[in-house]
Amino acid sequence: MQPSGATDVRVQMRPGYTLSDRAVGLLFIAPFVTAALFFMVYPIAEAVRMAFYSYNPLRPELSSFVGIANFEFIFRDPLFWDSLRQATIWTFLSIVFQTVFGVGIALLLHQALPGIAIFRGLLLFPYIVPTVVIALIWRWIFNPEIGVVNYALQSVGLIGEPIYWLSTPSMAMASTIMLNVWKYTPFVVICVLARLQTVPLELYDAAKVDGAGIVRRFLDVTLPQLKEVLIVVIVFRTIWTFNKFEEIYLLTKGGPGTSTFNLAVYSFEQSIANLRLGVGAATGVVMMVMLSLGSIIYLRVSGFGEDEKAS
Amino acid sequence: MTRHDFWTLTRRLVSYAVLSAVTFLVCFPLVWAVSTSLKPKSEIFATPPTLVPHTATLENYHALITGRPQYFQSGGKDVSSGTTPAQFFMRWFFNSMIVTLGSTLISITISTLAAYSLTRFRYWGRTVVPYFSLLGYMVPSIIFVFPLFLVMVQLELTDSLVSLVLGYVCITLPFCMWLMWAFMRSIPIEIEEAALIDGASRLQVFWQVVLPTALPGIIAAAIFSMIVSWNDYLFGRVFLNSLDNLTLTVGVMLFFEGTHVDWGLLMAASVLMTVPMAILFMALQRHLVAGFGAGAVKG
Repeated sequence: MQPSGATDVRVQMRPGYTLSDRAVGLLFIAPFVTAALFFMVYPIAEAVRMAFYSYNPLRPELSSFVGIANFEFIFRDPLFWDSLRQATIWTFLSIVFQTVFGVGIALLLHQALPGIAIFRGLLLFPYIVPTVVIALIWRWIFNPEIGVVNYALQSVGLIGEPIYWLSTPSMAMASTIMLNVWKYTPFVVICVLARLQTVPLELYDAAKVDGAGIVRRFLDVTLPQLKEVLIVVIVFRTIWTFNKFEEIYLLTKGGPGTSTFNLAVYSFEQSIANLRLGVGAATGVVMMVMLSLGSIIYLRVSGFGEDEKAS
Repeated sequence: MTRHDFWTLTRRLVSYAVLSAVTFLVCFPLVWAVSTSLKPKSEIFATPPTLVPHTATLENYHALITGRPQYFQSGGKDVSSGTTPAQFFMRWFFNSMIVTLGSTLISITISTLAAYSLTRFRYWGRTVVPYFSLLGYMVPSIIFVFPLFLVMVQLELTDSLVSLVLGYVCITLPFCMWLMWAFMRSIPIEIEEAALIDGASRLQVFWQVVLPTALPGIIAAAIFSMIVSWNDYLFGRVFLNSLDNLTLTVGVMLFFEGTHVDWGLLMAASVLMTVPMAILFMALQRHLVAGFGAGAVKG
């Protein structure tokens, strides 16, 4: 119950509010609409506009409409295609590992064991660690000369020579994938875990009565139940992973050379290093087109239309 | 011990063994970072490397917290390295706190009001806004960071914490909006109606009935918002210039600028940067999972 003092204040304030109910509703949505227009719709519209302009931030007065020249530029740029190819590899491998590990860890955590909460906490923790911190730790433990990973691998005899994790193209790619998998597998775990908790136990009992072993029970009972959530998670993660910037840039800056560039790093480098904001924006537009395709798939899968009818 | 008990016990032991192995692998990088941060310079490069430092020291933490200029071992004697990022560490920590709390407060306020409006009033477009917001959340920040920067130039806000607060509202608002909407929608409307019939005003209902009920959703949205703002690098990198105004993420990357990389100091900085998020995580883990349930999985 409210202390009476608080109620009194409101009673006194009441004559001031002579708004109609409808006005209250509109008043409450107004800040959001304003913020959305100024800081979301406008910047995105502006990004699309910039894609058709030649824009140098140091000489804004010289910016001019160039039509589709920026798009012609990126489509002729071999680096753009390299970035696209590398982003695809990066995304695909990251998602495969995240999904496999995610489901595995979720199944491990979905057991009624004493102390399971501690394991759950520790296994979900990487998700909230700042990317900067992970990148720094990665640079330290994967350091070829003084890093503990090479030391451990060498001392158990798995490798003879130190691996140059961040300075050879394929290993740099592997390192960024490891970072990404390490950080975002918890996302998959949480989603799968939430779904596992709603699987009716009768299904397992029935399967047991039918003599299904642990593998069969996973394939025939668990997996079909998880299908829906896994599709949603995979679509979401694919969209986000494809567009990740910090996870790559902070660890390798897209290097060595340009071997770990993805489209986000490409766009950033065009904008910041080459001061071609138009080209960077055009890359952004290409990314947005791909994103929309992904989002359409997502909305299809999640049943946007049905939701409308239901509410 | 019956046969059944034996199998249960074996299964448990196997589960614990696998869980421990996985947890060790996952947590190793963090444990190693903590271990490095506690080592004196002489021990950091020791072979074989030690997991538990022989001589643990807090000198790295002390250097960051007091802002003492760092000295590097070079050919047996200490050489002063002049101005170092360590001197700015606490300042950056403070800056990060301000932008994180500021942007979260704004995002939560705006999205809670909006979610209430969208779920309790009828007007054109009310069903579209949340989905539009969700799409906004999917647009990667790299796309609008530069246009937004140009907006800040026009508002003469560049290189200020205010610009960063606005930038973070931009990235957190769509998600908070979606989450609050999903949450508010699930709150039964009957109690509010009863209160309204009893003569309470809309605002009284909002303060005294809706907000307390929506608290778990607000907490979940706030956690996500704080994680995103605290962890961001890109906006800070683009919006800020002067050393005094940097946030932790941008500032700490400057530790790499010099010729020496002081790994002990860097790992101590990493640990200190993670601590606020760890506290948040531990205190509110339950809400985090609830947030995922309402926001990310729910379509």
